[in-house]
Amino acid sequence: MNCPIKSQENTEWLIEYSADRLDKERTALVARHLETCPECARFVRAQRRVWDALGRWEAEPVSAGFDRRLYHRIDAQPASWMSRLFRPLHPLWRPVVPLAAACLLIVAGVVLHAPKAVLNPADSQVRIEKTSAEQVERTLDDMQMLRELAVTPTPEESSSKSM
Amino acid sequence: MGAAAALDYDAELMLRVKDGDEASFGLLLDKYRASVSHFLYRMVQDQAVSEELAQEVFLRVYKSRETYEPAAKFTTWLFRIATHLALNWLRDEKNERAQERLDQSNEDGPVREVADRAASVEQQMLHEVKVEEVRRAVAALPDKQRAAVLMHKYEEMEYSQIAKVLSCSESAVKSLLFRAYETLRVRLAHMA
Repeated sequence: MNCPIKSQENTEWLIEYSADRLDKERTALVARHLETCPECARFVRAQRRVWDALGRWEAEPVSAGFDRRLYHRIDAQPASWMSRLFRPLHPLWRPVVPLAAACLLIVAGVVLHAPKAVLNPADSQVRIEKTSAEQVERTLDDMQMLRELAVTPTPEESSSKSM
Repeated sequence: MGAAAALDYDAELMLRVKDGDEASFGLLLDKYRASVSHFLYRMVQDQAVSEELAQEVFLRVYKSRETYEPAAKFTTWLFRIATHLALNWLRDEKNERAQERLDQSNEDGPVREVADRAASVEQQMLHEVKVEEVRRAVAALPDKQRAAVLMHKYEEMEYSQIAKVLSCSESAVKSLLFRAYETLRVRLAHMA
């Protein structure tokens, strides 16, 4: 392999090698190169010192109230209209909501576009005319009957006339 | 294989959060609370500020749940948020105030930590001095170099992932890390 320092190629191999993160094949290549290159060997020694020094720096543990404060902040957030709408629903029920909405739309569509019972003006005219003729006939019969009643004398009238 | 499984699992958890499963958010918080907080602590080197920023990271994760799409690895997305917040804070707050805070904690730190340890006081103090040197050396790095080193060393991220977090090319990350470690090798050369 070319010297990473001299060629400025694959310099990351030396860094990864120092951190023991290089794959086996490349580790073998670098190890062989280090045997003959004091410059790269020096680089690796110095890099390992840096790696170890960084390893000494431990971060402070997260404070005990971290989660409580976070959830408090989350609760204080104004919910979006979508989450307000769907929050009461259990996740398992959520797929049902769009399905129900789709069904509702279909039903509405059917109701709106169903063929209405159209009234035929001609039919109603015939019915009206038919009704009127019957009524006239019945009225004429009634009048005829009244006339006959008026003409026919009662028994008292007929006896007085004979005397 | 492991990385792919982790990607699927974390992204799946986040998708469950998107579906309203609060417990999955709790799982993600448990898994990444420490690493995000520690990364931020090493970036800003102030415990109170780092916790505040870590809270902001998880708050943003939660707030983004409805629009979340698993386009990248979950940790890439998470650390992109964390890095963005840290770099913004450093841009706004570093100057004399940050240096003063570092100096104050420098004076208080070792005394606070020395008690009740099995190691001798002398060894403990020596350790603290060394850690302080490391802290200062890292703090002296340019912000992006620092972020790259912290993700590489402590989060064990690969170059490609660091590149995605920092929104730059992989070769730019190689260059950032090479220069950062070069500076650290000089500054920490005396440490055995």
